[in-house]
Amino acid sequence: MKSFLPVLAAVVVLAVLQVTLGSSPYFVYLASLVGVNVVLAVSLNIINGMTGQFSIGHAGFMAVGAYVSGTTSLLLKDDQLGFLGPVASDQLFFVVSLLLGGVIAGVFGFIVGLPSLRLRGDYLAIVTLGFGEIFRVVIQNSDGIAKGFAGVPGLSLLGSFIGQFGGALGVSGVPQHSSFFMVWFWVFLVVLLAKRLAASSHGRSLKAIREDEVAAEAMGVDTTSYKVRAFVVSSFFAGIAGGLFAHFVPIINPGSFTFVKSMEVVVMVVAGGLGSTTGAIVAAVLLTLLPEGLRSLFLELGGGDASLAQKVDQIRMPIYGVLLVVIMLTRSQGIFGTHEVWELWGRWKKRAPAQPT
Amino acid sequence: MSAVAPEASTAAGPLLEAKQVSIQFGGLTALSEFSLTISRGELKGLIGPNGAGKTTAFNALTGVYPPTSGEVVVAGERVNGMRPFQINRLGLARTFQNIRLFKQLTALDNVRIAIVADSKPWFDARRVQGLKRGGLAQRAVGAALDATNNYRDWWRAFLRTEGFLAEEAALTKQAEALLSVMGLSGRRDELASSLPYGEQRRLEVARALGTRPSVLLLDEPAAGMNTREKADLMVLIRQLRDQFSLGILVIEHDMKLVMGICEHLTVLDHGETIARGDPASVRKDPKVIEAYLGEAPAHAA
Repeated sequence: MKSFLPVLAAVVVLAVLQVTLGSSPYFVYLASLVGVNVVLAVSLNIINGMTGQFSIGHAGFMAVGAYVSGTTSLLLKDDQLGFLGPVASDQLFFVVSLLLGGVIAGVFGFIVGLPSLRLRGDYLAIVTLGFGEIFRVVIQNSDGIAKGFAGVPGLSLLGSFIGQFGGALGVSGVPQHSSFFMVWFWVFLVVLLAKRLAASSHGRSLKAIREDEVAAEAMGVDTTSYKVRAFVVSSFFAGIAGGLFAHFVPIINPGSFTFVKSMEVVVMVVAGGLGSTTGAIVAAVLLTLLPEGLRSLFLELGGGDASLAQKVDQIRMPIYGVLLVVIMLTRSQGIFGTHEVWELWGRWKKRAPAQPT
Repeated sequence: MSAVAPEASTAAGPLLEAKQVSIQFGGLTALSEFSLTISRGELKGLIGPNGAGKTTAFNALTGVYPPTSGEVVVAGERVNGMRPFQINRLGLARTFQNIRLFKQLTALDNVRIAIVADSKPWFDARRVQGLKRGGLAQRAVGAALDATNNYRDWWRAFLRTEGFLAEEAALTKQAEALLSVMGLSGRRDELASSLPYGEQRRLEVARALGTRPSVLLLDEPAAGMNTREKADLMVLIRQLRDQFSLGILVIEHDMKLVMGICEHLTVLDHGETIARGDPASVRKDPKVIEAYLGEAPAHAA
């Protein structure tokens, strides 16, 4: 099976990197953060870039994945499948909880997408923003909801699951099963999907919806169904990203999944170029490393005084804003436009200056 | 390939029938009691001055605007209230007056999008429905299989299965054949937006043919073309009708073109049908002369 060769190659490369670099905690943490953001950006690009629907509530689906997956792992922490040994058993539970988080996020994507994808442009953006916030607020008040559910027959199990969310305090003690290998294997999967989708009949129909919805509909494309499916898959991967996130940070709380997080992902997608998977990757890597770079720069400037460096998180959003304004003014289609890196490379080599608008 | 047109749905009935279709926007009647039939092999024209309701008629037929009253029947099925993509799948395809290509995609992709691959779902749809009526476990399995069926295209694209690759190759071949019919073979990999105007119009026709229509609606296919291109187009439209055994309805401003190729004309003015019949008699109709030829000779430009 030729189509599995890239997967094998990725497994080998990632395993080598895991062995050589996996022992540095700072590297693994940073690489995981970058990886999670790449998964988020590439998956959001499927709906925002490829299908042309402007969704700005991605953090909400990430939150669903993080909480479902994290809580599942927390509950399974002391269990083991004896025949597998502790490490393999833990990793198996980790994968199962990731997939559970992804699937539940996908289900929520379906519930949100079905009514709201009939809306266009600004209206869709407002609705997705609203849903993203609703998820967060519900989680923030999960202790109260759990108490309410406790007395209701049939809901008490769900209630006790939601009770683990910990309200505004968040969930701590999720086993740290994540690794460089696992995060970047999912990065690989989502990128492979995006790339192969773009070259398939289904992906072309999504792009047709982006280019001209009326014409796509007239050519027999069931636009609503395609949009909802793209939204569900996008939400699934947001959930996976959330699940991965939950397994390498010490604590997850509603503050990690605010509107700011959603905007961060949107900025990555727009800056990279709507519709360009490689653009989303490049922008996600740069924009994740930017605050880290600033942090060490400020540490240097402050002469080892950490108080200045701690302010990086506060000035991150203004910097994103300025960056976005600059990109929109100088190159409104994003760094790569709708194209992939290798396509542009070919064009530069040909020296064809004509840029289609 | 797609030269094999879909089978006639009803024995002798027309492929497309509009029965007294009216469209109102608020108090404005854009189209009033519009009636028309198209059968296999017919080539009809729809003419009228600017704002007469020609494009509105197209939009009513193709489901962009559901008719306020009246009935549209495609391949024997009443399509009022159906979505445009459903109507398209019954065999009605169209082009647009203000060219609506997928601009940032290549000519080949534009056509490939329109072509529907023939493929069966992974799990038999009826059996899945049966499972979903069973017990809890069966229902869970049924739902999972159903979801797998729904996302089958994603899986296949992701895994690049043998069947998927074969299907892609078949799609590409069909699309290439259609491009060559429309004389666009050399433009295969060029972006639609970079094509000259006349070729964009031809690409729209190729794309419409990709949906394997039995009836083709052409909205001003010759607009913006020079005399030479128009003459070629006339020949091409006739040829398409014969090759794909289509029924064709053409909206056109250019009287010469319409008179030259259409066997039957319907004339609209302010949403009303003011004349219909063969070109010679329509040309002599005083109402037509007054509404269209007499009043607005500048339209020829």
